[in-house]
Amino acid sequence: MKISICPEYVIILPPMAVSKDLKKSLGDYKHASLFWTDLLYLISSRPQSLTATGPFRKLGVNAKKLSTETIEMNEDMTEFNSRLSSYYKQLSDTWTEAQKEYNRKVPEIPNDTEHLEASKRIWIDIFENYFTKLFDSPEFAENFGKLVTSELEIAKHWNNMASTLLESANMPTKKDMDEVYKELHYLRKRIAKLEKIVNKGGM
Amino acid sequence: MAHEIRIDPKFLAEFIQINKNIIDAPKLAESLEEINLEMTPYEVVYSEGKVRLLHFSPLVSKQVKTPLVIAYALINRFHILDIHPKKSWIRNLLGQGIDLYLIDWGTPTQIDQHQGFDDYVNGFMDNCIDFAIKESSSDKVSLQGYCTGGTLSTVYASLHPDKIKNLILTAPVIDGRRDSTVVANLAKHIDVDKMVETIGNMPPEFMYYVFSILKPFEQGYEKYLNFFKNIHNKDYVENFIRVEKWLTDTPPIPGELFRQWIKDVYQENLLINNKMYVGGKQVSLKNISMPLITQVAVGDHLVSPECSMPIHYAVSSEDKTLRIYATGHVGMIASSFSQQKVLPELSQWIKERSEK
Repeated sequence: MKISICPEYVIILPPMAVSKDLKKSLGDYKHASLFWTDLLYLISSRPQSLTATGPFRKLGVNAKKLSTETIEMNEDMTEFNSRLSSYYKQLSDTWTEAQKEYNRKVPEIPNDTEHLEASKRIWIDIFENYFTKLFDSPEFAENFGKLVTSELEIAKHWNNMASTLLESANMPTKKDMDEVYKELHYLRKRIAKLEKIVNKGGM
Repeated sequence: MAHEIRIDPKFLAEFIQINKNIIDAPKLAESLEEINLEMTPYEVVYSEGKVRLLHFSPLVSKQVKTPLVIAYALINRFHILDIHPKKSWIRNLLGQGIDLYLIDWGTPTQIDQHQGFDDYVNGFMDNCIDFAIKESSSDKVSLQGYCTGGTLSTVYASLHPDKIKNLILTAPVIDGRRDSTVVANLAKHIDVDKMVETIGNMPPEFMYYVFSILKPFEQGYEKYLNFFKNIHNKDYVENFIRVEKWLTDTPPIPGELFRQWIKDVYQENLLINNKMYVGGKQVSLKNISMPLITQVAVGDHLVSPECSMPIHYAVSSEDKTLRIYATGHVGMIASSFSQQKVLPELSQWIKERSEK
């Protein structure tokens, strides 16, 4: 663990990449969870179906999906946290370096308007340069890309869980709506093509 | 040990003044919700889904017959081209007697997520341009594309060269590999397939993030400090609020269009290499043989000049002009500089090449 201090806040940063040990223990946890979820589901599915009525019957059948999504989401959360920590580390390290540079250039606190204005300009220029260099770097973009990807993985699990609940209530899911949108898009294109043919006066 | 702290009285006076200005600000400035960005009157002459073709009312008698159709960018709305009477791109061109149309892409929703380059170029743009040709009784139009609208216009001019008399590209996104901006850096590392599959359209929040890393200190602190310092300057305040409103009005980009734009332009750089396909047809920049003017800004931190300029060398046009201006991405289209330098040169260029 490393403690990094920046002017506005203190963050405790975990190691940057998910270690092999952690990955293994997560894998073991996932296996054990799924094993027991499956087994408990098999044991309880008949009584669950027997006692559930209306929309709950479908939810009873689909309940396993919810726990599987939760387990997988937890796994993705570790990747997300790791990427998020790297992201904040990049920001805080850059801030610290820029602040050091500013302290070197402006060693004394300005106490008149002209000096204050000049030192503010220097502060902005230094911070802008340091941060632009960071945002321009492949390391930043690579980590940011992976951060967004892990965020999307989590969102995907949310979508899947929401779909399970919607399905159990006999309501359209995101997948159902996507199919409708796709069909509509296809129909619009066909109509536009036909309109063009008609406007040109024949086939 | 006692320490004496000496503070410049001027500094104190300035500090007190800015605090007074902050208190006075709500009385002197309108809120974003209260202002209307519609400036120059127009008529919606054609619409298709959420896309509208606007025809601006003339300010003087028409001096050229060939109409100009502007394909605005996919990011934010077209209002930046008409942001302030003294800085309006639209008003300036109308004042030169140019017959002006503009394609407003509207605000796509999830139902539009499957719309891609084919729908935009061969569908919306083609229908809007057909309409402008018919309404103006011309054979062709002049087409101007700004930013990502420049990318769409380039693809359009390659696939439908017979309908374009003159092509004007203002800070177009062309050669993604050469783009040295932070936008391009992020675009090259985004898993765009996952984004589109998971959330459909490119959400505005993603664009707000991209905006936030463009000069965060200049734009984040200094800009707002200057706003409060200038709170008694009516023109400054009005322009500031209008630009801020424009900045916060970011519609989503249809997922399929975003996917193709990021992959084909930034990640695989297909457009400049004549390897991009739209609607099953290859986009060859050699098909562009009409007069072309490319406008780039050296201080552009959204689309770097290196990204735009290759189009000048890739087309087969014999009549081609490259203009490089000492300004930024927005400065090129909505500033006093653009009124004094960029627009007079452009309108003269258009007039010399249009049907009278």
